[in-house]
Amino acid sequence: MRTFAVLVMLLAGSGLAAQQPAQPPAGESPYRIAGRLPVRIMSFDISPKNIQPGEKVTLTWAVENPASTTIDPIGRVAPRGRQVLSPSVTTTYTLSVTGASNSADKRTVTVVVAGTMPGASPPDAVANRPKTVPRTADGHPDFSGVYGYGAGGGRGAAPAPAAPGALPATPTLKPGAEKYRVVRGPEDTGLYSTCMPPGIPQSFFVPYYLQIVQAPKHVVIAHEYLNQFRIIPTDGRAHPPDPDPSWNGNAVARWEGDTLVIDSIGYNDKTEINGYRHTESLHIVEKISKPDVNTLSYEATIEDPNVFTGPWLIKRTFPLLPEYDSLNEFVCENNRDYKPLFGNK
Amino acid sequence: MKRFLFVAAALALLAAPLSAHHSTAMYEMANPTTIKGTVKRFEWTNPHAFIYLDVKDDKGNSVEWEIELMSLNHLRSYGWVRTTVKAGEEITCTGGRAKSGAPSMISALLKLPDGRELRS
Repeated sequence: MRTFAVLVMLLAGSGLAAQQPAQPPAGESPYRIAGRLPVRIMSFDISPKNIQPGEKVTLTWAVENPASTTIDPIGRVAPRGRQVLSPSVTTTYTLSVTGASNSADKRTVTVVVAGTMPGASPPDAVANRPKTVPRTADGHPDFSGVYGYGAGGGRGAAPAPAAPGALPATPTLKPGAEKYRVVRGPEDTGLYSTCMPPGIPQSFFVPYYLQIVQAPKHVVIAHEYLNQFRIIPTDGRAHPPDPDPSWNGNAVARWEGDTLVIDSIGYNDKTEINGYRHTESLHIVEKISKPDVNTLSYEATIEDPNVFTGPWLIKRTFPLLPEYDSLNEFVCENNRDYKPLFGNK
Repeated sequence: MKRFLFVAAALALLAAPLSAHHSTAMYEMANPTTIKGTVKRFEWTNPHAFIYLDVKDDKGNSVEWEIELMSLNHLRSYGWVRTTVKAGEEITCTGGRAKSGAPSMISALLKLPDGRELRS
């Protein structure tokens, strides 16, 4: 009876019904609680388990709460997946997972290819991913792929300190341009609280993936956030005269060695860049390269002669996510209107 | 019409929080809440997935709770698919409830009918 009374008091404190479960201890973020959940392998199968040379097998797996999921000899994979493979020799696949609270697990499956011995070397062309930056038919590095936001709070890896003589990582405002510094009041819910595009380069710095699709004369840079995209000609053409101001600007690109240089103008004045507004004179030069197969290097040089004393530079890197081949759909209007949660504010 | 598009994503990135412009003010994050209910529907959508949960109030009446989850890229990385939660199932969600008192919460972890716990 006493226990019941305590329970009722606890539940009354939470404002929840008596039928509800015991409440978690106060004072700890639920994300920290969730962050301790251990990893587990739900399933790992191969079918069929015996094949003739040249036949295919299907590998399927499901993992929950992983920090990392890899299949040897494929490499990093999504937590849930399915791959059709053509192993040339008898092969054992090993699914290894790690998770929070030092949790880890491992499972193996083997496909026997008739008349072959177990293969020690990577046995499957489908499973082998490139180990160096691939190149397109015209010799340029191929940036195509899905990229994550990596560590650093959804903004890509933290920038390295500026080298001596390099452009500064933060701008200096011109005299009289203080009004372009963004200062948010308590009622200002911020740049990402509406369905309006964040523009360039902020579209790169949200906690959603981006995808590059490279074609012979264009590169497409697509962002999952708001499903924004730019189709950028890479043939070195000039900007059209007086492009209409737009959220993502008018972009043209050229190759400088293995670096794609994207020059853009024609922006509207509705976006912010790292806490600063700008005018329609905004000019951005982006440089994209791949120092290695798993890393996209991104630099954006920002200029606005009406606002800043000179150019400044934002640098980020983004990890290739070989386990994904396309972005998710994003429909901003799916999000709920949270205004009621704020009461009358 | 203010919408908070990736509050949850911002919350997830605890190691290096996003800048202050992602308000989390509408949810009570410091004192988590656990609620149990029956799934009415599961919306597998970006910018965030949502579960609509039939929860009994203290008079035994049904109240529809809106449970906000992470974005799809986060949920996939935790092992979710669109069938992970199904209508009719009884589930338990732990997260931060709306400070306004509205029947709404953002869920950080979820317990499925078979006892499996998943980040959400």
